[in-house]
Amino acid sequence: MSGAAAAMRAGEPSRAAAHRGLLAWVASVDHKQIGVMYMLSALLFFGIGGFEALLIRVQLAVPNNHFLGPDTFNQIFTMHGTTMIFLVVMPMLAGMSIYAVPLMIGARDVAFPRLNALSFWLQLFGGFLLYFSFLAGGAPNAGWFSYAPLSEPTFSISNGVTYWVLALTCLGIGSIAGGINMIVTIVTLRVSGQTIRRLPLFVWMTLVNSFLIIMALPVLNGALVMLLADRLLNAHIFSPAFGGSALLWQHYFWGFGHPEVYIMILPAFGIISEVIPVFSGKPIYGYEFVAASTVAIAFLSFTVWAHHMFAVGMGHVFELFFVFTSMSIAVPTGIKIFNWSATLYHGRIRFTTSMMFALGFIVMFTIGGLTGVSFAVAPIDWQLTDTYYLVAHFHYVLFGGSALAIFAGLYYWFPKMTGRMLNERIGRWHFWLTIVGLNLTFFVQHPLGMMGMPRRVYTYPDLPGWMILNMISTIGAFILLASVLMFLWNIVSSLSSGAPAGDNPWDAWTLEWATSSPPPPENFALVPPVHGRRPLWDLKYPDRADELVAAGEG
Amino acid sequence: MPKAKLAVGLFILSEANFFALLIIAYVYFHAYPGPGPTAASALNPLRTGMFSIALFASSATMILGVRAYRARSHRATLAWLTATVVLGGLFLGGQALEYAGLYRRGVAVNRNLFATTFFTLTGFHGLHVFIGLVAIAIVAALSASGRLAGTEREADAIEAVGIYWHFVDAVWVGIFSIVYLWAWL
Amino acid sequence: MSGVPTLNPFSPGAASISHLFMAILFVMLAIFLLVAALVTVAIIRYRDRDGAPEARQEFGNPRLEIVWTLIPALLLAVVFVFTVRTIHASDPPIAGHRPDLRVIGHQWWWEADYLGSGVVAANEIHIPVGRQILVEVESADVIHDFWVPELGRKIDAVPGHPNHIWIRADKPGVYLGTCAEFCGNQHAWMRIMVVAQPAEEFAAWQRDQLAVPAVPESGVAAEGARIFRDQTCINCHAISGTAGNQRIGPDLTHLAGRRIIAAGAAENTPANLFSWLKDPDSIKPETHMPNFQLSDAQAHALVAYLETLK
Ligand code: HEA
Ligand code: HEA
Ligand code: HEC
Ligand code: CUA
Ligand SMILES: [Cu+2]
Repeated sequence: MSGAAAAMRAGEPSRAAAHRGLLAWVASVDHKQIGVMYMLSALLFFGIGGFEALLIRVQLAVPNNHFLGPDTFNQIFTMHGTTMIFLVVMPMLAGMSIYAVPLMIGARDVAFPRLNALSFWLQLFGGFLLYFSFLAGGAPNAGWFSYAPLSEPTFSISNGVTYWVLALTCLGIGSIAGGINMIVTIVTLRVSGQTIRRLPLFVWMTLVNSFLIIMALPVLNGALVMLLADRLLNAHIFSPAFGGSALLWQHYFWGFGHPEVYIMILPAFGIISEVIPVFSGKPIYGYEFVAASTVAIAFLSFTVWAHHMFAVGMGHVFELFFVFTSMSIAVPTGIKIFNWSATLYHGRIRFTTSMMFALGFIVMFTIGGLTGVSFAVAPIDWQLTDTYYLVAHFHYVLFGGSALAIFAGLYYWFPKMTGRMLNERIGRWHFWLTIVGLNLTFFVQHPLGMMGMPRRVYTYPDLPGWMILNMISTIGAFILLASVLMFLWNIVSSLSSGAPAGDNPWDAWTLEWATSSPPPPENFALVPPVHGRRPLWDLKYPDRADELVAAGEG
Repeated sequence: MPKAKLAVGLFILSEANFFALLIIAYVYFHAYPGPGPTAASALNPLRTGMFSIALFASSATMILGVRAYRARSHRATLAWLTATVVLGGLFLGGQALEYAGLYRRGVAVNRNLFATTFFTLTGFHGLHVFIGLVAIAIVAALSASGRLAGTEREADAIEAVGIYWHFVDAVWVGIFSIVYLWAWL
Repeated sequence: MSGVPTLNPFSPGAASISHLFMAILFVMLAIFLLVAALVTVAIIRYRDRDGAPEARQEFGNPRLEIVWTLIPALLLAVVFVFTVRTIHASDPPIAGHRPDLRVIGHQWWWEADYLGSGVVAANEIHIPVGRQILVEVESADVIHDFWVPELGRKIDAVPGHPNHIWIRADKPGVYLGTCAEFCGNQHAWMRIMVVAQPAEEFAAWQRDQLAVPAVPESGVAAEGARIFRDQTCINCHAISGTAGNQRIGPDLTHLAGRRIIAAGAAENTPANLFSWLKDPDSIKPETHMPNFQLSDAQAHALVAYLETLK
């Protein structure tokens, strides 16, 4: 392991070192290597899930297209959604937390390093299990939330959905173990002086997020074992034809599913809350509000699940309850948007690629969030649910939100992880191609939905306006392909020939920047003293240390 | 805050949600029953109640076991832990008998929704009991082989196992009241 | 009928939704512009250039932050009030009314039973103009969703959980809809066509639908009728006046009067009917109607027969 670390620090691994390195990676229980492996697996699956997205877009480019058959198309979009959520965004964010959190709290490693490794291998195994279904007579084809009774053996004969259940159970257990590990790490391993109210916001949000994970994932697992009973023991829990209930599944799934969508955004909020202050040269504006609003979102996220079910005929009383809670979530989220913007003011903004992605996040996520609120208005949902307007909503929050934040975080921490800077010129290309592609692909889906195009259709009639908008969306997807390839190229080329990073290239102020890049196996030779939220700032400007300023002596 | 205890606490939190779902399913189909066997017609609260007492008692012996360990008396520890394993085993034996009886009367997991939700709920609880027994047995074996140094960390680890055991027990209190007692009323 | 259906209502219910939607779209636009402006101004004024002032080390201002917590909250409170109103306006209670129409989703076509007159139609639903029609929406298999955007809200067809909605069309015309809940392979071709007619036209249509077509005695049509009887067709399809009374496939009693076949996958022309009978998958891949390997002669005869079912 030290061999690998040394090689990484030197930047050019000799063959021998690389070999020892490879074994070291597989056997590793070091949070840095496990974190990196999480991120690499997420990147691999991003390629696959993105490839599936391209197949979808090619099929939909023109009306009455015969490129993919119905069942194939259903498998592709089911795998695309499942992959992007469970094999890309979740592990990518998990990987970043596992890598960065111990460093940010001045710890040697996570609380349970072996459990940490187990989580990763469960994650990877789950991913392969899911994709093995392609070889085992067909991938799952009931959508990423496998509504019953369509997911019941009566209507879904192939084993796809069974693989889906088994894979997700695997991922679920791995995530729960990871969540527990994170909480224990953050609660017990903080360097002295780093009180809860001095936690870096990324750590704060990882903490809250981990609670969401350990509360929400078991709900998924519970639902999955029942679906498994239906599929393997021919029980009928979700089969109305045999006295079961189709809606019970929906309540179960969304009881997990809505918290899940925040599991995919809270760590992203955390990344943004680190990147924006650093590149504005200012502390976050209103730390307390940003931290507290996260907790509010976490609690609310368990009270809104049935806003995914406005069309099932719940009765107006229930609907109004979920309308109310869903709208409420906009308030704490708004606090974040406004506090991030306020952080920019009176700052000195450096336009690094990381910062550009963070700024892009604020604007793009707001679009997705606003369409989300339009869905919270039940009557609008009655018209637009399960149309492309919805597809647009969740891609703006997931790609425009989670994914942009992930890019911001990768450009921010890559130097720490590898000791090399990513190329800023390629980075700019990556950023602008992403923004253009993202909006071309997904903005036009709003009007498409309003025009009545339902989601999950393998083809569509040639109604006025549908073809041109779909064509634009497809073109956008290929621009996104270019942007992703640009990014991969940046990583590969920078790994070998990127400029050396040094310990603290961004002159940031959280603890991970106080050690070498990449950090030694033991993380820190010596952890600097922590008297505030920005230890390295205090170290650099003792006379203007945060506590003094706060005390009005700055 | 000892790591092990905190971790188990969090694990219990997530397990509680898992069982909550199984219980909701049971209650839902108890409220909207279909044809076929029901809790009232198929179950024997008295008999299961007897075996439940064994499980409840095992919680007490577990507490005593942990106490004994903290008091550094290995023989007492071993005795109490063994008692816990025996009592837990008794409970599982009872469950096995109950299942066998049900199958003989044709109440299989796919018979109707009562059967399905009953078996998934009690089955997953049984699984948790079994896992707990394995963990306790390991601890007992270790203390028997005198490998335990009697450190604080070990004490915490054993107490963590205890906490998990009490949770499994508490879940059964819930299941027993909802499945068996409710059927009686 | 054209344009943007969700913003182009032809019923009071749909209208109340599209008005609210319009309003919300403007609110959203305003908020988006606000956020975009906040960011743009900041990055222009405070970008790092030589001579730019040092970043000010400020930690926030609770008073200000409370303001931008409360303003959205108030705004949403207002939105909530209008939402409550619109919910009741666009989806009024059924208050003991009996459904006029029962629509049943099948994989992958729609059955429409007129509870008053006993007419049974498929995929093409006729309604009288200007009347509130109470539709009971059910499913024969998986979850479907009945959605005709210009006439009102959509609602799921959940097996074992019948739902009700009001639809109404204030202008005569043809309104397109679709199944909006993913229901398997041919979810894409499970489209709906609602034909709104003036009262008397509608009454005439109902009379025609109730008429029992004569079974042809001679010619290819007669041959077709025989094949229809012998070739298991009657195991799935109903044609009143014949032995066929099954509801597994669409009722074919007045097939020839329909504009579309296979739930919108093709126009109802003899040529399309022919290729449908020769090989349903050629028109609607993976549909539940089997391929009977009919000879061209048989298929032609069947088409001739089906074409008599006006
Ligand atoms: C990262 C993931 C993510 C995030 C963060 C969100 C955020 C939100 N989502 Fe989204 N949502 C999804 C992912 C996400 N969603 C997915 C994947 C689906 C589809 C699942 C499927 O069917 O496949 C979905 C579906 C979905 C539905 C169901 C639609 C349907 O199926 O019919 C609804 C309904 O209420 C909804 C609402 C919201 C709301 C109110 C928010 C809010 O949290 C948004 C809050 C943010 C803002 C509002 C913007 C910033 C705020 C301000 C600038 C303050 C001022 C604003 C106002 C006063 C309005 N979402
Ligand atoms: C984070 C989540 C996420 C992300 C990032 C994306 C990204 C994309 N999505 Fe996806 N999408 C979902 C989550 C996501 N999606 C979900 C949950 C659904 C619902 C599924 C369901 O209904 O069940 C969905 C559904 C969905 C649909 C609707 C399908 C339907 O309803 O019929 C469409 C259609 O346009 C679409 C398109 C795209 C496109 C063009 C991208 C693009 O942004 C993709 C860009 C990326 C690439 C183009 C990568 C290509 C790179 C390579 C190929 C290089 C290979 C390299 C390596 C192997 C390392 N998505
Ligand atoms: C196994 C059941 C089954 C049998 C047998 C069957 N059909 Fe069908 N048929 C269907 C189904 C289901 C549909 C609806 C397909 C769809 O729209 O997805 C259908 C649709 C049709 C349609 C189009 C009706 C419309 O309005 O869309 C025609 C015409 C038709 N069948 C004729 C026939 C003839 C003629 C035969 C005998 C040679 C036959 N069918 C045998 C199940 C069957
Ligand atoms: Cu029926 Cu989709
Ligand atoms: Cu949601």
